[in-house]
Amino acid sequence: MSKTLSPKEKTTEPALQREPRGISSWITTVSVKRFLIAIAAYAIALVIFGLVALSRGANPFGVFDAMLQSTVFNGGSIEQVLLRAVPISLAALAVAVPARAGLVNVGGEGQLIMGAVAATGIGVEIGTHLGGPLAWLAMGLAGALAGAIWAGIAAVLRINLGANEAVTTLLLNFIANDVMLYLIYQPWRDKLSSGQPESSPLAHGVQLPLLFNSQLDLGVLIAALIAIGIWYIFRYSNWGFALRVVGGNPEAARRFGLPVKRLMLTSMLMGGALAGIGGMLNLAGVEFQLRPGITVTFGYVAFLASWLGRHEPLKVVLAAVLFSAIALSGNGIQLGYGLDGSIVNILLGLIVLAPLALSRSKSG
Amino acid sequence: MNGIEQALVGGVEGGTAILIPALGELIGERAGVINLGVEGCMLSGALGAFALTAVTGSALIGILGGFVSGAVWGAAHGYLTVVRRADQLASGLVIWFLALGVTSVFGTGYVNDSINLLPIIAIPGLSKIPWLGPILFRHDILVYLGYILVPLITWILFRTNVGLLLRATGERPEVVAVAGNRPVLIQISAVTIGAGLAGIGGAQLSVGYVGNWFNDMTNGYGFIAVAVVLFAAWNPIRVLIGAYLFGVALAAASVLQAHGVAVNQYLLDALPYLTTLIALVAVARKGSNRGPEALSRALSDTS
Repeated sequence: MSKTLSPKEKTTEPALQREPRGISSWITTVSVKRFLIAIAAYAIALVIFGLVALSRGANPFGVFDAMLQSTVFNGGSIEQVLLRAVPISLAALAVAVPARAGLVNVGGEGQLIMGAVAATGIGVEIGTHLGGPLAWLAMGLAGALAGAIWAGIAAVLRINLGANEAVTTLLLNFIANDVMLYLIYQPWRDKLSSGQPESSPLAHGVQLPLLFNSQLDLGVLIAALIAIGIWYIFRYSNWGFALRVVGGNPEAARRFGLPVKRLMLTSMLMGGALAGIGGMLNLAGVEFQLRPGITVTFGYVAFLASWLGRHEPLKVVLAAVLFSAIALSGNGIQLGYGLDGSIVNILLGLIVLAPLALSRSKSG
Repeated sequence: MNGIEQALVGGVEGGTAILIPALGELIGERAGVINLGVEGCMLSGALGAFALTAVTGSALIGILGGFVSGAVWGAAHGYLTVVRRADQLASGLVIWFLALGVTSVFGTGYVNDSINLLPIIAIPGLSKIPWLGPILFRHDILVYLGYILVPLITWILFRTNVGLLLRATGERPEVVAVAGNRPVLIQISAVTIGAGLAGIGGAQLSVGYVGNWFNDMTNGYGFIAVAVVLFAAWNPIRVLIGAYLFGVALAAASVLQAHGVAVNQYLLDALPYLTTLIALVAVARKGSNRGPEALSRALSDTS
């Protein structure tokens, strides 16, 4: 572990200065050589992906074209990318916040699901009486609470019993999924729908409204504000700084008098709440009802996005938008080429692999 | 055969699909590398074994194919984490994603294929033991492989020089290097072999237990295997207990359903994960199950 806490009198300033100052200075500090190597690595990732497509009898250029068409060029496709980026970004921030305190949250998937489940429960219940901002707020709070509880379980097990949180959050993902399936196959099943089981749809009044004349809903705006808020908290709040100290060196933090356990717990609760809100926004803005596979690995994609963005909020969100586009481009490939849409998981993996393969400079 | 016996028979069969990958994961973690990609290695092994069995008609080639399909990913994970010093958890998840994509793309042609399941071998004599015989000694060959691997790996780890070297690498790679050995090579080999065993676990699932191939058929078993290693505190015998516990929980779910017990299927599906989680919590005491030191160091470096 290379990060240590400097003596008391010079704690805050140097530590804050070490932090990158946003994208512009980030680019200047990255050497040109490393930049070129990174470009080459991503190019190789694209070539490998193209070869996989070729091996399945699809023209790689056509595949790339279909991917771009379905995410950038077609009318409204960018909006679709942003809509899908909402749950991924929030679940990615749910990884980034605990990561700052040295905790590994691989439970974004389960926390998204529980957020959506809680929001559905509340939304369906109050939808007949209430609509608009008050209803959204109630659903958002329910989602945040459910996500926080789900992450909190793992946090408590880690802090009080020493159970590895990476593994417990993973297991909780599968339990969350089964809880949701139970609800939509039995008590919450929409009796009016004949196809695959779904929960009853949300009433129109509790659905999130569209922004202006676009396909974007209020959730995109909320997610963007939350991301900026987290960035601000990380940079300027005592809590954000204390988390970093705990993540850097828990022993030093303890001697320094920081409430390490409480900081670890709150970071995880905050993370879970963010993912829970992500699940709620996705439900109230896009899906409107629970269905099997509602999250389709968004939570895991989010983990990789947070990792690619080095757990720095704004970069994490950029990575989430990129991954959202890649995930969405699977539809274009599936429609145009009949390849299984999960082929994009290969590209996603390769894109994260590129910096992983270059990460020798990382201390460790 | 009553319900309890059915659950136990199924527990041994399904548990084997956790046991062998978990033993593989144990080998890797003892050398200081955690592999969350076990899930992906199992998935590849399941497809590799299924495809090769379907094409060649030979179960043995299928099983070997399962081993190789898993081991390839293990080698990649080893290279990334040991040579390139990449984050172990992130690399493992990447391996899973890549395997998920690759198997879904290359597996489409096999979705409707059918194969002969691995033959059931009744051990002469032992399988005649009342009650225990059918539960323990009337299974496919991979179940017996699991029986053999537990004592074999225990012996190798704790009674041979290779095992000593492996464990030393997992504690203090620097010391191993100073002593004139190559920790990098040891770690990569351990992870590769471990992932190969994960592949065999996948093979047990596709050609031993279920008999066909479908996307994402491992359904989180690989993650359970990682949890079982933790639960077992890196001890092969306890891995055996944890894996069969999971297997029984899994089988109990379907047996209960077959007997018309009116419990929702999805709550039962959660049972194995819940069991594993509770087992993990039950043994987790602060500091009592400290893992290999290099592993703890690698994990605490995550952020």
